[in-house]
Amino acid sequence: MALLAIVILMVCLLSFMLLYLLIKAGHEKKHAHWRSLANTLIHKAVFDDEDKIDERFIRETLNDDKLAKNRYFRKLLTGEIISAKKNITGTAAENLIQLYRMLNLDKYAIKNLNSMRWYIKAQAIHELTIMQISDLVEHLHLFTNDPNEYVRMEAQTALVQFNGFDGLSFLDTITHPISDWQQIKLLQLLTLLPPSLIDIAPWFQSENTSVAVFALKLARNYHRFEQHDAIAKCLDHPDSQVRLEAILCLNEVYTDETTDHLISRFLNESLKHQLAMIRVMQTLGTERDILFLTDLLNHESDLLKLDAARALANAGNNGMASLEEYSKQSEQDITEIVLHIKREMSV
Amino acid sequence: MSWQTFLLHAFTYGILVYSMILLTFYLLIGAFSILETRAYLHKNRFTDYRMLASSNEAPTMSILAPAYNEGPTIIENVRSLLSLHYNNLDVIIINDGSKDDTLEKLINAYDLYKADFFVTQQIKTKAVKGIYRSHNPVYRKLTIVDKENGGKADALNVGINIARSDYFVCIDVDCILEQDAILKLAKPFLETSTHRVIAAGGVVRVANSCEIEGGRLVKVNLPKKFLPRIQTLEYIRAFLLSRMAWTRLNGLLLISGAFGAFDREIVINCGGYHTDTVGEDMELVVRMRRYMEEREEPYKVGFIPDPLCWTEAPSSYRILGRQRNRWTRGTIETLRSHKKMFFNPNYGILGMLSYPYWFFFEFLAPIIEFLGTVGIVIYFFTYAVNWSAVVIMIGVICIGILYSIFAILMEVLTYNQYKQRKDILRLVLVAILEPFIFHPFVVWSAVLGNISLLRKQNSWGEMTRQGFTADKKAR
Repeated sequence: MALLAIVILMVCLLSFMLLYLLIKAGHEKKHAHWRSLANTLIHKAVFDDEDKIDERFIRETLNDDKLAKNRYFRKLLTGEIISAKKNITGTAAENLIQLYRMLNLDKYAIKNLNSMRWYIKAQAIHELTIMQISDLVEHLHLFTNDPNEYVRMEAQTALVQFNGFDGLSFLDTITHPISDWQQIKLLQLLTLLPPSLIDIAPWFQSENTSVAVFALKLARNYHRFEQHDAIAKCLDHPDSQVRLEAILCLNEVYTDETTDHLISRFLNESLKHQLAMIRVMQTLGTERDILFLTDLLNHESDLLKLDAARALANAGNNGMASLEEYSKQSEQDITEIVLHIKREMSV
Repeated sequence: MSWQTFLLHAFTYGILVYSMILLTFYLLIGAFSILETRAYLHKNRFTDYRMLASSNEAPTMSILAPAYNEGPTIIENVRSLLSLHYNNLDVIIINDGSKDDTLEKLINAYDLYKADFFVTQQIKTKAVKGIYRSHNPVYRKLTIVDKENGGKADALNVGINIARSDYFVCIDVDCILEQDAILKLAKPFLETSTHRVIAAGGVVRVANSCEIEGGRLVKVNLPKKFLPRIQTLEYIRAFLLSRMAWTRLNGLLLISGAFGAFDREIVINCGGYHTDTVGEDMELVVRMRRYMEEREEPYKVGFIPDPLCWTEAPSSYRILGRQRNRWTRGTIETLRSHKKMFFNPNYGILGMLSYPYWFFFEFLAPIIEFLGTVGIVIYFFTYAVNWSAVVIMIGVICIGILYSIFAILMEVLTYNQYKQRKDILRLVLVAILEPFIFHPFVVWSAVLGNISLLRKQNSWGEMTRQGFTADKKAR
């Protein structure tokens, strides 16, 4: 009996697969036709010089709105419009937005914001953002701390897209972490906007450590020198990721005392953080730091020794000379390190 | 009850219980793989990888590609790696004491010079003979390491010592990667803030009979030869079902040595690849997981179902047999080194589920199957045919075919690499033939693997490949 059941199941699975392939082949023909209709509309919107799209043309193309009400066609059409919109700007892009609204696709997207399924909700926010439908921006703010990470990611992206740096206000309230992926996305979006001196200081102290990390990245990318002391304070933050980000940030936001801040905390840090500190000193180190860096050439970690030698070579006009002198006098052989550094400096 | 009857019943019911548990696992793997693949496809709908490709904020990645006697194809392979889409990427080729002209070819093709380079010994390795960099700034991302021969694991350890990136991707130098492979593989490391992603793997597909031009895959074809074709089905089953399901449970133990990304810091803390095993890829993942479990740090091993890496599958029984023999030895060596975790609740899913699954259904399965078949044959010749055992065996074979068909269905519903309907039907035919032609050979190779290990034979086994160019010419 069991054997028979397995064989029946096998036949069912095979039949389902073959049926699926047949139906898919049938759909492919229909989809090709739909895609051509969608492209006709997009072409008209993008390449016609007219400011307003002819409503009658749309109706005729879509056979008196019948097709526009078809859920599958609408999905395909939306996808095509979105993908076209991502690649164009200017009047053509505005015409596409007009087309999107005329087809009432925005209304469907707004309706989908209330969906119980996270991916439909996130897709709707994504769509409205790409199509620059900013009417609901306040409503989208509610989603920035949504339990589903994809919904909140799309909502956060939307706010920055619509409101620029002011859109980052969600950082005041969010309790969920911002992933590295989302941070990269937001920073990338902000590079498209003119820099703005928004108040980022409160975020350094946020209980949400990912907010503090993101704020430090903002300070680094926008060279917020006035925040130097607040950033230096983050070197004592209990979270190691925040401390690491603060070290990296000081590479771009520095004063004459920055290396003193780093040196004073050096011994209390892990090797990973120590390496990051030394790499900052490769840029900021001066002759004052030569003694500290020379001491590190005795460190047990080869990696740290190499980085310290690099920092030493770059520490003022006498750095390289100090390194070579140490190499001659020291009992340990660091010739390979010196040659390595010389080769790097010659490139 | 005579002892013969008792033995007969014990044998029959033992096989039945084992088969039932295996069937339950098949069902669970199927269900979890559906859930994980569905979630991945939904998430990917909003992903714009172009954003990561151009961002300076993207984590640094190093490709580590050990090369041994790869002279005929090395230049094209390196060119293909250098053309991958990723901003913060460097490519490190480790010439593992090749006896052919691999190094000379690289020096000439990429205008290399021997650079003064201090190699830090974060992981102990065989001696490095030289580091080569290019005079041509176009190849500034390229580093060639020439070292004494020490095997793949040792070569990768040298690469890890030299890399300065956050993550490294280890690949077989003759694999073909999709242009966006690194972008996609980098994503799992950036997605989560609550867990540290220590490693991520991608799907490896069979490239035999595919069209390759200039180190890039231009057309996917189903392999024409029987052996590679059957391995195509095997890879689909392993990657789309099994690995996706284990990812869902965060219980994945294996990331293919042909293509996987790792957190460099954790790998160094764990001591790098072990050079005394032939299953260094699985052993490293298990050791990394164990390291995280023992430190009670939340972690994940990621896996993505996109077809990102294409490799040449063995097309002769001789080479395939060596490969499977090695895989068996690698599995046993890994399980033996980490036996402390076996049903140890301190290791969570890893100790209570992943490790026992590998022990019972990857290590023991071929042995049980072999003994079961031998038992049935003995009973047959002693005229004491146990028909219940035969029915169970037929049932297991049917379930195996059903599972393969389900894997093909998953392929059709998701990535559908083989567009023609006749290719799908060919795969179904292969699924039906597999238990009778291919599977017995795989079981026998695994048994030989066990015997080799008992005899302390620990060679890698020569893996001669035809090469994609040769394959193309043959077509």
